Amino acid sequence: MKISPERFATIIEAYGSQPGRWPTDERAAASDYLAQSAQAQALVAEYQVLDEWLDHYRIVSLPALEQHVINQAQNISTGNAFDRLMDWLLPHSGRVLAWVWRPTMVACLPLICGIYLADYFSFGIDGTQNSWEEELYLLSLNDYAETLE
Amino acid sequence: MTDDQELMTAIQTGDAQAYESAVKKHMKSISHYAFRMLGNTKDTEDITQETFLRLWTHADSWRSEKASVSTWLHRIAHNLCIDYLRKDKSAVTSEYMDELDMDDKPMDMPDNVNKLAALKQALELLPERQRSALVLNHYHGFSNREIAEIMDISVDALESILARARRGLKAQLLAKPSSSTERSLEINRIQD
Repeated sequence: MKISPERFATIIEAYGSQPGRWPTDERAAASDYLAQSAQAQALVAEYQVLDEWLDHYRIVSLPALEQHVINQAQNISTGNAFDRLMDWLLPHSGRVLAWVWRPTMVACLPLICGIYLADYFSFGIDGTQNSWEEELYLLSLNDYAETLE
Repeated sequence: MTDDQELMTAIQTGDAQAYESAVKKHMKSISHYAFRMLGNTKDTEDITQETFLRLWTHADSWRSEKASVSTWLHRIAHNLCIDYLRKDKSAVTSEYMDELDMDDKPMDMPDNVNKLAALKQALELLPERQRSALVLNHYHGFSNREIAEIMDISVDALESILARARRGLKAQLLAKPSSSTERSLEINRIQD
């Protein structure tokens, strides 16, 4: 597989001078072209300076952060949907909105559940009894009968 | 079953030991990526914590056929960093000189220190996506397909972004002798 000068230039401009960073499937062809072309070698040398600059950027590790990240999982449950709901309702973040809104939601949940359960089971109310509309109709008939008397 | 699959299956069941293993394996890469994107310790800690929190709470959304755990975590970190930088453009603050690992460098080489400061400044001036692509390519050893997956773009688009990033850095670092760093280097030479 051969590589065009234009494609080689694109590779160098995008991935830099180190063959280890070039696309795997084009690395061999690009390396062959580099060995043969003085123009390619000049381009690589130009980008090598930039790569040397970039190599200077080193960072210290943050050992305390690792332990903190490990510990944070102990406070937060995972797995089923109910646990996630509880995590959402009682967040571990310090955001003001979360601490005001979510406890309000928690307080409202029993009320919502109570209304739903009462509606579903109709505690103490016999389904065979007359509806409110029928009761009103019968009462009106009763009033009408009284007026006839 | 691969190591990644075993690890993620264990994390999905709430195995804290598996989570700890994953943190130890990927912490350095994620925190270094975040630092190079954000430029300060506080934001780096926040983004790193949030990334691993999502590993713990959303492990079931990882798909082995789509990405490795490393790629998946870097994608989360990338999205968090981009969101953060777009919300607060002034967020990037240079703490590089405090964070520099001086054990790696001779203390009596002002040229190196100036180069590092200039590089940090030049990286911060790049648009977020260009910076992210360059950091993932140069420092983290991801392949072009993996970086494209992390950034959710095509390989062609990635190459275009990377080329613009390197051209931008070259223009700032190598072709501007009047930059502050070069000026300070000139001053050092005069003083010497």
